[in-house]
Amino acid sequence: MAKRVLVVDDAIFMRNMIKDIFASGGFEVVGEAANGLEAVEKYKELKPDLTTMDIVMPFKSGIEATREIIKADSSAVVIMCSALGQESLVMEAIEAGASDFIVKPFRAEDVLAVVKKVLGET
Amino acid sequence: MRHVIFRVEKERYGLPLSAVREVVVPPARFTRVPRAPSAITGVMNLRGRVVTVVELRQLLNLPDSPTPPARVVLLDRGRRDLGLLVTDVDGIEAVERVSTAPGKLTPAIRGVARLGGLGVTVLDPEGLDAAVVALFTHSK
Amino acid sequence: MTMDMSRYLGLFISEATEHLESLGRDLVQLEREGTATVVDSMFRHAHSVKGMASSMGFESIAILAHRVEDLVDAVRQDRARLDRDVVDLLLTAADTMLAQVRAVAENQQPDEASALLTQLGNRVTAMTGKGLATTRVAKVTALKPAGTEAGAAGTAQAGGGAASSSQVAGAPASTASTTGSAAEGVKSADAGASPGSARSPGVVGLAGATVDMGAQGLPLPPDLLAPPGTSSDTASTSGAPSGAAAAVAAAMGLVAPASTDLGDGLKAAASAPVPEAGPVRGASPPRAEPEVRGAMQRWAVRLRIAPTCQVPGVRAFLVHKRLTNLGTLVDLRPALEELKAGRIPDGYIQLELETTAGDTGIHASLRNVAEVEVVSVKPAVAAPAPAVAAPAASEAARASPDATARTVRVRTELLDYFLDTVGELMLATARLREVGKVLPENARPALEEGVYRLHTLVKDLHDKVMTARMTPLSLITDRLPRAARDIARRKEREVDLVITGAEIELDRAILDELADPLMHLLRNCIDHGLESPEERIAAKKGPRGRVLVAVKRARDRVIIEIEDDGRGMDPGKLKSAAVARGLLSVETAARMTDREAFLLSCLPGVSTAKDITDISGRGVGMDAVKRVVENVGGTLEIDSEKGRGTRFTLRLPLTVAVVHLLLVEVGEEVFGLPIAKVVGATEADGEALSRSRETALLPHGNSLLPVHSLDTLVGVPAPPRQGARPFVVMDADSGRVALAVDRLLGQEEVVLKPLSRPLDLLPGLSGVTILGSGRPVFILDVPRLLSA
Repeated sequence: MAKRVLVVDDAIFMRNMIKDIFASGGFEVVGEAANGLEAVEKYKELKPDLTTMDIVMPFKSGIEATREIIKADSSAVVIMCSALGQESLVMEAIEAGASDFIVKPFRAEDVLAVVKKVLGET
Repeated sequence: MRHVIFRVEKERYGLPLSAVREVVVPPARFTRVPRAPSAITGVMNLRGRVVTVVELRQLLNLPDSPTPPARVVLLDRGRRDLGLLVTDVDGIEAVERVSTAPGKLTPAIRGVARLGGLGVTVLDPEGLDAAVVALFTHSK
Repeated sequence: MTMDMSRYLGLFISEATEHLESLGRDLVQLEREGTATVVDSMFRHAHSVKGMASSMGFESIAILAHRVEDLVDAVRQDRARLDRDVVDLLLTAADTMLAQVRAVAENQQPDEASALLTQLGNRVTAMTGKGLATTRVAKVTALKPAGTEAGAAGTAQAGGGAASSSQVAGAPASTASTTGSAAEGVKSADAGASPGSARSPGVVGLAGATVDMGAQGLPLPPDLLAPPGTSSDTASTSGAPSGAAAAVAAAMGLVAPASTDLGDGLKAAASAPVPEAGPVRGASPPRAEPEVRGAMQRWAVRLRIAPTCQVPGVRAFLVHKRLTNLGTLVDLRPALEELKAGRIPDGYIQLELETTAGDTGIHASLRNVAEVEVVSVKPAVAAPAPAVAAPAASEAARASPDATARTVRVRTELLDYFLDTVGELMLATARLREVGKVLPENARPALEEGVYRLHTLVKDLHDKVMTARMTPLSLITDRLPRAARDIARRKEREVDLVITGAEIELDRAILDELADPLMHLLRNCIDHGLESPEERIAAKKGPRGRVLVAVKRARDRVIIEIEDDGRGMDPGKLKSAAVARGLLSVETAARMTDREAFLLSCLPGVSTAKDITDISGRGVGMDAVKRVVENVGGTLEIDSEKGRGTRFTLRLPLTVAVVHLLLVEVGEEVFGLPIAKVVGATEADGEALSRSRETALLPHGNSLLPVHSLDTLVGVPAPPRQGARPFVVMDADSGRVALAVDRLLGQEEVVLKPLSRPLDLLPGLSGVTILGSGRPVFILDVPRLLSA
């Protein structure tokens, strides 16, 4: 069964790109969220196998959202979407419980490699 | 292998038991399907499922028959809800040694066998399915 | 694999433009009132543009956005730094980026804007006193090979970049509580709190009114009698929500608090945390405390960060975090600060770890980390281990309290309307896409980009609407305690009712359907499942029976279990009852499993009612329960053990697709027309209409609409008619049309079922539904009927 993914990013552009990457890797994107608040809510609702989380977002940052998701479900798998120059933010997210991270600009095979690794599929 | 034996008029047909989900009495009226080929009798509500029912006589290009069909044989085709309208259902019999029908006309027919001294035409579930889909795609 | 980025170009242009325009507006506002919120918003806009541009491979835009981000960040740290010149500079940058975006939209090379870059850089240096961190935006590009400048920059010092952005962390997070959540607006109609508003008006047909279509089972072996509907991803409804009943139910719930009948022990059980319906996870990374097994032992671990890793510092930090979760790190080389800064010679890390997890545990904890190779794990020559290894405290424990979400109550009709409209938007989008296919090659990309964006937005909207329709099960379970008490009193039973998971949400349409079945199952459990107190004592049970209603969420399903600890069902009695009623042959009955036999109780009239005095014995009504559950796309299972009790398990989908239809009659057939497409209806004498060639024309408003006979369109025979007949005016692809029908039957809200093979091959059908009468009705896609 395809793993279920929640994609969190405030830019539709990014969400679409990430969604396409997942689709090409045989994953099922079950939901999207455009800010941290929505992300937490969507997570609780959908209980995805994996969540990709942008860091800089309105209303609630990806780090805060990750913290809340992990608080609600300690086995949640959250992958941070970071950019170069955001190293310390990603470390904060890891402290908050993020499982791994990917770095923009994304290359499909890099993203899928990280994700499959995290899900124990390789 | 055990087969469900049913009739179209006097002619006997068999389908593997594993391919049949159940046998039901047809409803008083079917909902007609817009623009469907004439072999499609219509759809019926079977406990919340919408089942497409096809008249086996027409599917196999048999001549018109005077006896109203009295049973629907529901195929177990996963998510495809398909029923065959037949004259009657005789029961379940073990059918062995199916020989390929001479001059096999349609993929719906797998072959013939002998049962209690009489012939029975053994149908192929996948072939039936394909034949129904072909009705729809060719009529366009 | 190289991604084809060109497909995202349209979206990039529109979204980047939006962000840049917002950035411009923010700047103007910033000058008037420089609040932190505005600065944060500016930072996000620049940041988004940077991310998108670097993904597209537009370095010049990405670099400029990055410099803007730096300057905004500097302003964010000290707003006193903001002056008119800075605002002017940022405005110029925003305008330049807009021009750059326009350039790429026209397939031209965007301006490098090097003078502006220098100005921005100088400004940041002047403000912060720091040298500018190397601008690092794109190491990899997909549209074209990365410029050597950017490529080289990408590998430059990670330390500087990390340091300059470290202050960013707190700010966006802290704005969360102050800005609140406008996005939360349309959540949860909370019908429980205002029962009156939960009513869905103008609906006809209750669940009980379903007409059985005469599909009676014949005596066949168990494989033939196996319950249908096990692949229950299709959904249908037998009628409409009984809003009034739900309202009454809610009111009843208020009368009798759930705890009144509970014994002390069970009160505790009721208030205990709801058991988590843990979704099955393929492999979640081991991150909790290590399992306490094996002796504390010290391990020497050697690792290597992959040389291709773009941010080795973060990677190393992740490894560090994983390992500290296992035990105590007693030696780490390079040191943590060096690791975090990415200063890791050749990527090699050495450490010693004291843990009870063993070498397998160490391997397991790193197995799921990308870009890390475990070179070796060996027992270390160890100093005696400390008594207890303290795993790192969970960071989650210091999570901030939830931001309070603002909720607004929305009438349920409005929610239905939203969903209906969104459905129509989806269909319209699909149609636009079809239209695009016949356009000339050069006109297509623009339309396709627009359609793609529209599609994304509509899907997003659909998700939101579906979310808003979700209603907690407590809306119907709240009335169960009172009902349980009444039934128990009448039957002289003693019962404790425990309800868990009632906060779990379901689509309102499904919830409405479930009210009666749940009540019936509860009655069944108490009436027929539970023994009298005397019998229970004789059977060495406590005198009080117990009924458990447990709601769980499992992926995209909600599972409701209703369980009693009573006498259980007797499969033998059920079989003989079914045989006695001629529903089953003796031979078939003999081959049935117990589970199959329990489901016989759902056949009309089968009852084990020998010992039951009540008129509504087990069996009566169970067929209705099963039908309702299956009609909403769910399944019913029954488990029972003699003397131990019975469990009913309902597996339900979370949502259904509900549409509003205008039902029309043609000949003897009924069809549904999506109300969103219906402009109006009128009556006229078909013979008296004017004609243009063969087509009759119906006057409507100021225009004449072409008339189509629905009987001809759908190929259904209908007797010719004289005199006045109804016409339905609808929107079609090429303007409005009038459909001649025989009768208007009224509106209905129905659950749309997708068409299964072979019906999906027919043009002009958008779905099928089952009316309250049990009659299947097709929903017509009139434009496609007209064009096919």
